[in-house]
Amino acid sequence: MRGRLLLWWLRLRVMTAKELIQLGRDPLLLIIIAWFFTADVYLAGSGISMELKHAPLVVVDLDHSAASRELIHKFREPHFRLLGEVAHPVEGQRMLDSGEAMLLLEIPPGFQRDIRRGLQATAQLRIDTSNTILGTLAAAYSAQIVEAYALELAERRFGTGRLLERAPVIDDRRRVWYNPNQTETWFMSISELLTVITLLSLMLPAAAAVREKERGTIQQLIVSPLTPTQVMLPKVVAMTLAILAGTAGSLFLILLPVFQVPVKGSLPLFFLVTAEYVFATAGLGLFIATLARNLGQVTLLVVLVMMPMLLLSGAWTPPEAMPEALRMVMPITPLYHFIEMGYAILLKGAGVDILWDSMLALALIGLALFLFGAWRFRRQLG
Amino acid sequence: MTPRDDAEHAPSAPLLCRVRGFGKRYGRLQAVKGIDLELHQGEIHGLIGPDGAGKSTLMKAIAGVLDFDQGRIELFGTPLDSERAAEAAKAQIGFMPQGLGLNLYAELSVEENIDFFAQLREIPPALREARKAELLAMTRLAPFRDRAMKHLSGGMKQKLGLVCTLVHQPRLVILDEPTTGVDPVSRRDFWAILTGLLRERGVTALVSTAYLDEASRFHRLAFLHQGRMLAEGSPERLQRLAPGHIAQLAPADPLAAFRAVRSRWPQAEVVGPLLRVFLREGEEPAELARRAVVGEEEITLHEPDLEDTFIALLRQRGLMEERAEESGSASGDQGDPAGETRRREPLIEARGLTRDFGRFRAVDHVDFQVCPGEIFGLLGANGAGKTTAIKMLTGILPPSSGEGRVAGADMARAGQAIKSRIGYMSQAFSLYEDLTVQENLRLFAGIYGLRNRERDRRIEWALELGDLTHLRRASTASLPMGQRQRLALGCALLHRPQVLFLDEPTSGVDPVGRRRFWEILLRLARIERVALLVTTHYMSEAEHCDRIALMYAGRIIADAPPAELKARLERRVGRLLSVVTAEPLRALERLEAAGFRDAALFGRHIHLFSRDPGATGEEIRRLLEAAHIAVEGIGVQPPGMEDVFVHEILAREREAVA
Repeated sequence: MRGRLLLWWLRLRVMTAKELIQLGRDPLLLIIIAWFFTADVYLAGSGISMELKHAPLVVVDLDHSAASRELIHKFREPHFRLLGEVAHPVEGQRMLDSGEAMLLLEIPPGFQRDIRRGLQATAQLRIDTSNTILGTLAAAYSAQIVEAYALELAERRFGTGRLLERAPVIDDRRRVWYNPNQTETWFMSISELLTVITLLSLMLPAAAAVREKERGTIQQLIVSPLTPTQVMLPKVVAMTLAILAGTAGSLFLILLPVFQVPVKGSLPLFFLVTAEYVFATAGLGLFIATLARNLGQVTLLVVLVMMPMLLLSGAWTPPEAMPEALRMVMPITPLYHFIEMGYAILLKGAGVDILWDSMLALALIGLALFLFGAWRFRRQLG
Repeated sequence: MTPRDDAEHAPSAPLLCRVRGFGKRYGRLQAVKGIDLELHQGEIHGLIGPDGAGKSTLMKAIAGVLDFDQGRIELFGTPLDSERAAEAAKAQIGFMPQGLGLNLYAELSVEENIDFFAQLREIPPALREARKAELLAMTRLAPFRDRAMKHLSGGMKQKLGLVCTLVHQPRLVILDEPTTGVDPVSRRDFWAILTGLLRERGVTALVSTAYLDEASRFHRLAFLHQGRMLAEGSPERLQRLAPGHIAQLAPADPLAAFRAVRSRWPQAEVVGPLLRVFLREGEEPAELARRAVVGEEEITLHEPDLEDTFIALLRQRGLMEERAEESGSASGDQGDPAGETRRREPLIEARGLTRDFGRFRAVDHVDFQVCPGEIFGLLGANGAGKTTAIKMLTGILPPSSGEGRVAGADMARAGQAIKSRIGYMSQAFSLYEDLTVQENLRLFAGIYGLRNRERDRRIEWALELGDLTHLRRASTASLPMGQRQRLALGCALLHRPQVLFLDEPTSGVDPVGRRRFWEILLRLARIERVALLVTTHYMSEAEHCDRIALMYAGRIIADAPPAELKARLERRVGRLLSVVTAEPLRALERLEAAGFRDAALFGRHIHLFSRDPGATGEEIRRLLEAAHIAVEGIGVQPPGMEDVFVHEILAREREAVA
């Protein structure tokens, strides 16, 4: 028994070493991995933004009064950029249609007059919301600006102190947790890191497995006394090690020093969860390798699998916002649990006491996927 | 060189193509250098050499599909020095690239393929139909004109490829390894068609091949080796470049005799029960007899074949690294002494082994046995079922019915344990190219559970076996084919298997490498008592086997020792006569007209079978002299394995018809 265990260990060791040497001798693949974990994460963290910045605004001011000018100049940088005025609403609409402007503010004649008289004054804002997120933000910010202006006018009219005393106003005091400055780079860079880990854990083991098929080396392994598990497991182990190394690189070279992501929780726990996740996803990658005949097919299948995985994971949309049916499916995608745990450990400082159920779920999903991949592999190798 | 050397073709016929100082680099690699070549109207000119010798590069450059950076190529009197010149020359050239049917479209039918190539060449429809009918009849493809190309056999694909290459009636056809992987019958067909074209149309052909036994079909040939021209000329002239004889003897223990003589005559090999030694001009067989412990009268002298000449030339030019003296036995241990009573239960056994792929039956009720110490050869063309049979016996593929047993265990059901008694070397190089020699060996040592000192000892042994000790840190990708195959063999033998499967182990390996490889196999069988199952499509290699099974269309059509197969052939169709004349094409025509249907042309030699060689020889002499064709010689020679194969297949086909 001990002899067999020793033999099993020896085979696992030499096969894992083989995978690592092969990976180390593939400069292109190494460059790609390094790029994903560093430059790509950096670009995502610093470049891509969901904030409203420099939104082009065009104005049709038919009132030409002090009040209208005042309102117009409330739309300021960094959120808005005033392109200028146009004489006619039709011209403004054309700019909106062509995408030159994102917002069109139209102030009708008599704007100042109505304000002075204490009547309800109207202004119209047309917003291009083809990009829903930016459009929603623009609408919300504009509403805030107009509201603030209205409050200002009211204060001017009734005097400062008296209004606040009399009006029933709720004082809204916010406490922002976990990301007090609401630094967007934290969210974006962590999200990108998790996506990169997903991509590579699907891709690397699948590529390593299909390469054996392409080059015919798999036959030599089938004829040897290795079991299919002994052929597969080392690939997963080796690629998990490589991805953990990449993750460490990404954390210590980009996330911590460049974006100052605060690691609130335990880093070893984060690596443990990552290893668990890579293992689970690699099982899926090996399943892909049993379907594909060459590297090209692997790549296409990885894209095919990754899209729904990302959509169902809550990376792009919070689970609560998903339709009922999809929400039921979400917990079986490994990325759903990984994202939850990743943010929880890095930003919220959660520990095993809170995350144990997600860890267990991920382990079960991983085991199921690996066994499924191994079963397919075994069946294919006859 | 005598004045009438190469008289028939070279000087008299007009020059078609002249290559001077041709060279080509791929990046930093100088692939080909300093090649001079002349092609004359109406000849078949052969390019011979192992993979990577530069044959394809040279052919592609002449065909105008590859740029070259050194030297000059003149075609039909105009230099190929611009794109435009190359385009103009292409109208008169037919080029068939390497690989079965690679220039054809798999989904199109035979006829559609031909039409497509005719339209490419802008041949008017009426003319196209006439030529198509003629070429289809000549290649006997007419009955299959509606069949999709992908459903043709390898031989038929090559014939179709030839038709498409010929449809615009080129003056020069360039054929890159047209017969590699094609079964011997189709191969003969192919050569007959080419010979016919030569005769009727005055077409000139430049043909490359990796089979040295085919080289005798060429009028003139060039030996290429590592991008250089080793020698050029008619087969007879080349043979005179390395003058000598092959001494053939049958010692009681060929392996022992081989070891006794090889320090004195490095060009020696064991072929089945025989020892063949190349004696240079002036060397007497007496000393050979003394060393090999046989009577001098038992030694027969033969003309060296082209492979012997090729190797002798390499050695003459100092292009061959001499092998270090072999050390010890094949395993590094003392082998069990000869004569000991041994088990004769078969180690490999196929019983009604069958495999279907959809509706296609790749292997059809195959039975055979391989005993310890036996070298068993599975012979056949690509697609005959050899590889599928091996895959079933090694447990890679489950059989559809029947069973494959190794060391008494059914491979379809056997556990992993049985696999540690099997060694396997596959067709393509199946080791890790990105690992070094030593890393590959370590990996397989680990897989087979070798540890510590045992591991190191076996790795050293494998390095020595393959002559790779100085290359242990070399990347496997950088090794030439021969060394790779020896490494693969070493990996397959690390765990001392009792059974070794070798699937086309020598394809793409040069003749020198092939010989070395067979030496190792022989030692394994004779000393280690390993049971060896080898597949090959080199008919000449079959002679090394103790027993041969000929496979054709998934079935075994003959299973016997090579000598017996040849004797059977001679009993059935008579002796093989070789007729040498000055005008082989005209002579062949005369003989065919006189009813010698199976006469075939091999360069200047015409081969045919006769039950009464004396009388037939006389008849042929009379016939040819009546036609004023000078007969230079008529002799009887032993048939080769290819003759055996061709006749076995034809006999089967006749049976099927009857």
